[in-house]
Amino acid sequence: MKVVEAVKLMRVNFTLLAFAICTPTLITLTLPQFAAAQDTTGHTEAPPSRLERRGPAIDASPLQARIDAAQPGDRIDVAAGTYTGDLYIDRPLTLVGHGRPKLVGSGHRSVVMIRADHVTFDGFDIDGQLGGSLSDDTAGIHVSGHAAVIVRCRIERSLFGVYLYAADDTVIDATTITGILGKDPGEQGSGIHSWNTKRFRLTGNTIRYSRDGFYLQSSSDGFVLNNRVSDVRYGLHYMFSDRNAFEDNVFERGAAGAALMYSKDLTFRRNSFLHSRGFGSVGLLLRACDNVLAEDNLIADNARGLFLEGSTLNVFRGNLIAESDAALVIYDSSLKNRFEGNAFIGNLTPLRLSGRRTDTVFDRNYWSDDTGLDLDGDGVRDDPYRLSNVFDHLRGNLSAADLVSRGLGARALSAAERGFPVLRPIPVLDAHPLARPPVLSRVPAPPRAERGGAGVGFLAASAIGAFGMATLTLGRRLGRRNAEAA
Amino acid sequence: MTRSRSMLWLIARRELALSLRSRSIQMFAVLFAALALMVAASGYVLSGGSGFQDFSRTAASLVELLLLLVPLTALIFGVTVLTPDVGAAELLYSQPVERRTVLAGQLAGVFLALTAAQAVGLGLAGLVLFARTGFDGLSGYLGLAAGSVALTAVFLAIAAAIAAGHNSARRARALASAVIIWLAAVVVIDIAALGIASALPSGLASKTIIVSTLANPAGAVRTAVLMMIEGTAAFGSASMALVRFTGGVASMSAWLVLSILVWIVAPLVVATSRLRKTDL
Repeated sequence: MKVVEAVKLMRVNFTLLAFAICTPTLITLTLPQFAAAQDTTGHTEAPPSRLERRGPAIDASPLQARIDAAQPGDRIDVAAGTYTGDLYIDRPLTLVGHGRPKLVGSGHRSVVMIRADHVTFDGFDIDGQLGGSLSDDTAGIHVSGHAAVIVRCRIERSLFGVYLYAADDTVIDATTITGILGKDPGEQGSGIHSWNTKRFRLTGNTIRYSRDGFYLQSSSDGFVLNNRVSDVRYGLHYMFSDRNAFEDNVFERGAAGAALMYSKDLTFRRNSFLHSRGFGSVGLLLRACDNVLAEDNLIADNARGLFLEGSTLNVFRGNLIAESDAALVIYDSSLKNRFEGNAFIGNLTPLRLSGRRTDTVFDRNYWSDDTGLDLDGDGVRDDPYRLSNVFDHLRGNLSAADLVSRGLGARALSAAERGFPVLRPIPVLDAHPLARPPVLSRVPAPPRAERGGAGVGFLAASAIGAFGMATLTLGRRLGRRNAEAA
Repeated sequence: MTRSRSMLWLIARRELALSLRSRSIQMFAVLFAALALMVAASGYVLSGGSGFQDFSRTAASLVELLLLLVPLTALIFGVTVLTPDVGAAELLYSQPVERRTVLAGQLAGVFLALTAAQAVGLGLAGLVLFARTGFDGLSGYLGLAAGSVALTAVFLAIAAAIAAGHNSARRARALASAVIIWLAAVVVIDIAALGIASALPSGLASKTIIVSTLANPAGAVRTAVLMMIEGTAAFGSASMALVRFTGGVASMSAWLVLSILVWIVAPLVVATSRLRKTDL
């Protein structure tokens, strides 16, 4: 009896204890989110972490004394050499490296911490020693002041490349960031991570092997120009950031070229989204993004070219979308989107539609698999183009259907089905499909394979042709000799 | 042994000379070269002038051309050669040469003539292709050439199985069978597989398509060559299904090659045994 009572008592106590522990925890957990929800923008969440502070003197760089002695606005010239230790910059300064001085971090925190406005940091190589932690946002350069200028730096072996922490008006230019090759995306940070930073300018940077190339969160009114991002998870990963412009960037070989969410008023011009080839990979993904204008981009050789979900009022004009398994994936939650003057070339299927219908407007695009006629010669085919073929119908539950989709049988089947539609087609049309591919001179040129081996190709082709010609001309003579022999 | 080999070569040369004398091979060579050049030269236009993956776009169009023309010509030339006029047949088979050597020699002669005719077209198309698109696909181009050789061999063997032991009295019927086989291999099997597959549950359906593609020699050549040109992503996620089904890229290639070899050897076995049993 006593045992039972004791157990009961314990159970009650445990419940009380659990309650006592959980309630404050829950409150502390929800409070910051609650606070964030009250934020004026409505999107900004609580600061991702506490800011790393100045480390103990033993971790400091030999350059630290010069910084501490400098007056605001001073210029510090740094000679070539290796400087081991962290830099803490707490006043407006210009640091210029000559002969690429190398800053090797202590491995306990970010190598360079910029904690003042108007700091310029030019011409350094930075080695993060694989140190620090993701939860502290340990970076090659961590910026929490405004109007920093980071140019011509090289950053490697650091969890994040550059971390912008509410660092409005920061410029990062001509900087090369190499992530940690072979490290799982979950275990390292992004090349350039921007949190709650306005009017940033990211230009001419090269990023490889990071988790994401750029991660932009709650960072608006920025300009991303002429960067090259490859071999990362997402080239551009993005949320709650409005009115940003992306021009002349190259995003290649990622799980996604760019994945953008919950943002509006973005422009993409002349970017290349290439070679996102993994299973379910995508060139440019928009989820809950509105008023995006994408013009003159090259979206090529991706498993899925363009992915739209819950995104409205976006315009795609003059882009070249080529060589994808599916050029477009559109969820019916996406409304009032418009495609005009794009060239869709060599895609296995033009559109994979999730849902039965879409109000997406297609007009005056070029579709390379459209065989319709243009008898009146006005450059527009006489019949509308239907963005679906019999294979889209089959592909749904038949993953191997594409194996035969490029044979003559498939052609015959498609032609027959277009002539006598028996399947309920996806009701999506381009009313005025172009008869000839539009001249898209502003679209970036696709990467050319090197011509070096063309000689071998010529040789092979000549050899094959010569064999044919020789056999055809000598064959008769052989026959004649035969006759003589007989 | 050496004698039968030299007899084989003699007969092959005779067959080559005969088919050249009738000018039909030259006509085929010109037609094929013209079409191949057209595809090679217009591939750029077809690809939208975008310059994107020009080589593989054009090469893939050449694959379609090969699949359309090569099996048909191999079947027709093969059947025609193997169903000689009665007099010619008597003369040929009365020679002191084994019947299967005669068959092999005839097939070798036609094979040489056909591949030579294709080689002219492929060579010219290759020159245009490499000149125009630069170089990113020697292996793809060689794949094309190998594909055309394989298709010729397969469909000549099938022609032999249809026609061996017959003479011109049965030529019309043999030609009709040849055309039906061509239609089946190039068009009907794919459609039938799709039709059957769409009535099956999804896992089984994909297997049906994969097996039919592997088992159909035209499908196997198409799959192999397109993958040589465009890499294993040539068919999107279907490529993945195929690779997974066959257990890896290496064993997939092995299966494709095996299928093609079986389709060369098996009809030849049928043809020789038919020829042996026939009373000529």
